[in-house]
Order: sequence, then C-alpha cells, then structure tokens
Amino acid sequence: MEKEIKICLPFYKIAYSIFFIAVLILIRGLNFTFEIGVALEPQLALLAAVFCAETYVQEITSGRSEVERLYPMKNRMIAIFRRTGIQEIYLLILSAVGYGMFYVVQRPISFYSMPSFTGSEAGLFLISMAAFTVTLVFWGIFSVLLSSLFRNMWAGIGGCLLLWIVTNSTIGDRFLGKWNLFSYAFRDVEDRGDFSWVCGKIISIVVSIFMAAVLPKIIKNGK
Amino acid sequence: MSIKINDLSVIFKNGVKAINHASLEIPKGIFGLLGENGAGKTTLMRVLTTVLSPAEGTVSLDGMLYSEGNYEKIQKKIGYLPQEIELYPGLTVQECLEYMGDLAGVSKELCKKRISCYLEKTSLTEHRKKKMRQLSGGMKRRVGLVQALLNEPEFLIVDEPTTGLDPEERIRIRNLLVDFSENRTVLFSTHVVEDLAATCNQLAIMKKGEFLYSGGMRELVEEAKDHVWLCKVSQEAQARELERKYHVSSKQFVDGGVQMKILCENRPDINCMPCEAALEDAYIYITNRERIVIPELAG
Repeated sequence: MEKEIKICLPFYKIAYSIFFIAVLILIRGLNFTFEIGVALEPQLALLAAVFCAETYVQEITSGRSEVERLYPMKNRMIAIFRRTGIQEIYLLILSAVGYGMFYVVQRPISFYSMPSFTGSEAGLFLISMAAFTVTLVFWGIFSVLLSSLFRNMWAGIGGCLLLWIVTNSTIGDRFLGKWNLFSYAFRDVEDRGDFSWVCGKIISIVVSIFMAAVLPKIIKNGK
Repeated sequence: MSIKINDLSVIFKNGVKAINHASLEIPKGIFGLLGENGAGKTTLMRVLTTVLSPAEGTVSLDGMLYSEGNYEKIQKKIGYLPQEIELYPGLTVQECLEYMGDLAGVSKELCKKRISCYLEKTSLTEHRKKKMRQLSGGMKRRVGLVQALLNEPEFLIVDEPTTGLDPEERIRIRNLLVDFSENRTVLFSTHVVEDLAATCNQLAIMKKGEFLYSGGMRELVEEAKDHVWLCKVSQEAQARELERKYHVSSKQFVDGGVQMKILCENRPDINCMPCEAALEDAYIYITNRERIVIPELAG
C-alpha cells in the first residue's frame, strides 16, 4: 500500500490539489453553510477527473505496461483499483478539510441557528460527504476508463470535461433533474425533506460499477 | 527451451507489413537479433511477449502454440526488458523491484530473496535504497534486467539494452546477459554488431521485416569471405569516386592517403588486396548483398 501511495500521490499532485481547493475557498463567495456542498461538489468532480487520469496511462507512457502484460490480469487490476481508491480517499479527506476551511475563511450563516430549522451542521456535513464520495468515485473511474481507452491522459480529462459541462449546467439540470450526476448540487436547499437528489447518486453508483466491470477488458485489449 | 517462428507476418492497422513471412528457430542459450532501426526487431519481440498478435503464421514456445488460450502459461515463462522503460521514479530500487515482483505474482519472501541475489549479481546492492530517478542510465537498465528476471523466466527477451550506454556499462550489461543465459534462452536484440560479437554464437539478421540470415556467427563471417577488399588511394576525390561505385564498410585517413575497406562480390578494378572479414563487414555484406553483387547500383 505504501508503494501504491508513493506511485499515485506524488508531491506535485498533492500540491496542485491543495492549491485548487485553497483558491476555491478564497474566490467562491457564499452566505450560508448549505452552499458549501454546492460550491464543492462540481469542482471536486473536475479535480477527480484530472487527478485520476494518469492512474493507468502512466504505465503506458513509461513503457511499463509492455512488461506488465506478462503479469496476471488480476494483480494488474487490483493495483489499478487500489490506486484509484487511494486517490479518491485522498480527495475525500481534502474535501472534508476544504469543507471545514469554508467555515473558517468565509464564516457562512447556519440555517440551523434559526429556530424554524431543524437538523444540525454535522448532519449536513455527513450528507455532503456521502454525496462527495459518490461524485469522486464516479469521476475518478470515468477518467481512468476514458484515458485507458484512448491511451491518453488528455483524452480522459477532455472527455470528463465535456460530460462535466453538460451535466453541471442549467440544461443538464433541466433535462436530467433528479437523475443528474450533480443532483446534490442542484437540489432545492430550502426543502430539507427533499432527498430526490439521491436518484442522481444511485445512477452514478450503477454507472461506476459498470465502468469498473468494463475496465479490465479495456486494459487487456490495449496494445 | 526453444522458440519456433513459422511463416510469421505482422501487419499494422495502417497496412504496413512489419514482419513478412519470417521463419526462425531460437535455441537455448543467448541468441542475437541484429538489424537496422525499423527492421522489425521490436515488432518481433512484441509478438514473442504476446503484446502483438500475428496476422499470419505461428509461434511456439517449447511446443506450446501462441494462442489466446495459452497466453497465460506462456507469459509466466517470459521475462522482458523493453527498449524504453521508465521504472517507478519515486520508488527506491528495492521498493520498485518488490512492487513489480508482487504484480508478477511472486511471493513476498521469494521475491526478496531473488532481489537480493540479482542485485548482488548486477552490483546494485549498495544502490538498493536509492530512488529510481537518482540512478544513471546503465543502472536503470540493470534494474530493468533484474525486474525481467524476478519470475525466473525460461525465456528472457531484451530489446536493445545497450543503447545509449557508455562502453563500461555496455560491457557490464553484455556480460550479465551471458551469465543469465545459463539454463535459459536469451533473445538479445541490438543494432550494434560488436555487442553480439562479444556475446552470441548464434544470431539472426533482420531487414525490412525479413530474416536475411540465421545461424552461427562463424558461418556469417564465412559468407563475407573473399568479398572484402582493402585499398588505398592518395586523393580524396578518388575515395569519393570509390564510395560512389562500391560499398565501403570503413574509411580512414592514413599516411599518404585514404585507406578503405570495400565490400564487393568480385575483385574491384582498382589496386587492392583481399582482407579478412569482420562481423561488421559480414553484416553489411548480408544486408546490402544486392547492391554489392551489382556495384553499378551502389550510390
């Protein structure tokens, strides 16, 4: 595991991801705490796509994939999934820290301090983290899949960017509604009982499982 | 362990025929594969490592046919060092080899033993804690060689392992390959003739996807016998004229003129004397035979 961490989390990736979140915290103004999730989720998706794009492609560009073709497929796939997982866990931790930093830097108002609202900030945080987890898993694996398919990191990032632009837009929200990948960011924040955004997350999970199942075939067929 | 290649053809997606109906038998021991850049050596190695599938023909390893169903068994018997490989730059030598051994499915204990053994043999023990990015080109190549040996392959394939190395490192790599060829088959590809002269008894020469020669080193040199001529001219203009007319394998300035080694089927119509053929002359002779037989075509 330690070696995998060294391979998939080099210093430059840690540096740019922290910088990205720091800039986001500084430039994205918000008034209420429920906006933190809205502010973070789409940006985390983009970060996950860029972050995970080289997970397998680095094996191709370095020539190691030629040697690794001789290794058992199961071991190769375990390594790829482990690396993707490590990166996603790192990004989840970073998103939790970023969530907290929004409190510190922007000092947003909590709805829960008002008598008419029930619930807690901790609950909001946990729900946001659950939504972020699904988002990170989806965009991470989608990026790995595309870049492995086209054997090019930029193809992975570009493909993700296209989907991101479509789904993270008013058009995406209008057409896909609660089934949108960013249903959590587009939810009606004032309706506390509305959990229809979970549909979008279920779609994300199902598609992620499908992509994870297809990935070994892509890796195996890659010359 | 012997490898039989029968009527092999490889055609790329763009229609280029990289290997054209080639047949070869690679026996046990170290076997050289010589050819200019683009001759098809790397393509052949990619077929042998199961990266590429042939369009026509068959390949078998110890009687086991290269086919989808046998790939897994075949892959276990192969160790491969590609021409260009960058092993994990952020890991130490030890970590990198342990990681690759783990991926290869070698048990942790056995892997550690083999790493120690091969690092010792490749004189890398003292560098085991260095990061891969800190190593010289030659050291990286040696680590690559250790990587290829971790699963104790019966068939070791090394693609131009000496390219870009200084003379000392080249000799070291060559000697290691000879050491590792004991009890296994080693296919050593290069375009440097002297690398093979120093290591192999058997070799094959490739050009434009075909085998022009396969057999013993002595027999190859024998083929060029009586076709190598040494001559000396006093003026450079004469030398240029000879270069235009004949295939010149070497040229050097000496006292009173220019000395040239000419490859020609028959005695050239100039003042010259027969000369002993070296492996390089034989290689040039084989790969340019058409132009040498009919010198008018030269240049």
